[in-house]
Amino acid sequence: MVKYKMGKEEYIIKTKDLNLWYGDKHALIDVNLNMKPNKVTALIGPSGCGKSTLIRCFNRMNDVIPECKIKGQVYYHEKDIYEQGVDAVEIRKKIGMVFQKPNPFPKSIYENIAYGPRVQGINNKKKLDEIVEKSLRNAALRDEVKDRLNDSAMGLSGGQQQRLCIARALAIEPDVILMDEPCSSLDPIATAKIEDLIGELKKKYTVIIVTHNMQQAARVSDYTSYMYLGKMIEYGQTKQIFENPKEELTEKYITGRFG
Amino acid sequence: MVEKFHRELDQLRIEVIKMGELAEDMLQRSVEALKKQDNAMAEWVLSKKCKIADMDQDIETKTLQMLTLYQPMAIDLREIGCIFKMITYLARIGRYAKDIAKISIEISDRPHFKKLISIPHMSEIVCGMIDDALISFKEKDISRFKDFSDRDNDVDELRYSIFRECLTYMIEDPKVITQGTHYIMIARYLERCADHACKIAEKIYYMVKGEHIDIDPSTQKCNVN
Repeated sequence: MVKYKMGKEEYIIKTKDLNLWYGDKHALIDVNLNMKPNKVTALIGPSGCGKSTLIRCFNRMNDVIPECKIKGQVYYHEKDIYEQGVDAVEIRKKIGMVFQKPNPFPKSIYENIAYGPRVQGINNKKKLDEIVEKSLRNAALRDEVKDRLNDSAMGLSGGQQQRLCIARALAIEPDVILMDEPCSSLDPIATAKIEDLIGELKKKYTVIIVTHNMQQAARVSDYTSYMYLGKMIEYGQTKQIFENPKEELTEKYITGRFG
Repeated sequence: MVEKFHRELDQLRIEVIKMGELAEDMLQRSVEALKKQDNAMAEWVLSKKCKIADMDQDIETKTLQMLTLYQPMAIDLREIGCIFKMITYLARIGRYAKDIAKISIEISDRPHFKKLISIPHMSEIVCGMIDDALISFKEKDISRFKDFSDRDNDVDELRYSIFRECLTYMIEDPKVITQGTHYIMIARYLERCADHACKIAEKIYYMVKGEHIDIDPSTQKCNVN
């Protein structure tokens, strides 16, 4: 098992000349990106620009895709996660992920959250209760479900299901939470709740979010990266990117003149 | 939706320029009316008071609607922000023109106690600044702002010189106090209009470059490159 030194590094995740191919398709080209801890970083760009591919590199989710080839480095706490001998499962424990569509397990609300810790070997009921309680609270879902923890998670609304998925990710105490368009299938009220939650989450975690909604990126993130055709075009503070981008391509994209 | 937004923005830009041209026209004619003691011209200025107020309100409403409906970003956001501020300054210039026209009618029953030279000169400089600001806005070109600080300085000095001159006349002959006080007020209005032109220039600079500058000569020189 690889140990990660949880020091006070300036950057929690760094990529160095990261390139990725799906067969012949060069999907990521020389991506260099440094992400600060306890900040929200948004990845924006037109469809097919490589945002989701990049975010999936951070917890090695691309490993399961055949013909996917990666060159370059992704550092997590200064340790290259693509080095030989690094266990992808260990990485995914520390770098959790929430997907576009809420995907709760067809189990009870309680079991959805307790599942991860159980796999990790925690079987003590009291300890599991504590984890479920804490995770639900941190995902701003506790008050809505506290009286029906044994009900099926499938009976929750889309927004609640998505927060349950966030709670499920938090249950294994990650360091970083990756969100791949977490609000794209939610209504405006559920979206607002998730956005508020992201603001809370960054106090304890580092959040990296892929979104097509630029206003959402502007609202929730501290840093924004604009990607186009697999390249990182511009990366900077969100205020600067949306108010006064330096690159013409970024400006054209965020003003809707392109993309 | 994006094309619709840009079409609406193009239209809004035309309306702002029209409003600016009206404000400039009102100011120029109000001073012309004063100089020539032409009450008909002063009345024309007064008749435009509601027109410029309506334009201000109309553009403000459209700006807010566009912000709500399209949530623009970057240069588009800066342009909308610039328009939102610009129209307030233009409306104020229009109001000063109206005040000058009112004074012009009020003191038209007696001839000027001296030939008016400095006030029309001030008006010329201020109208030139407004004109340049409007062209810069239209063309997104900030090169015209290079000497705005100097021009604003000239206007300030002219106001002070009018103040001193009027004071001298009023000390010599109390009968000209009413007229003299009005001239001093008009000089003050024109000086404020120059300040508004500078503020408009600052907003346009921000719209084009995304950086804030201060043209006011009392704080620092305009750092337009």
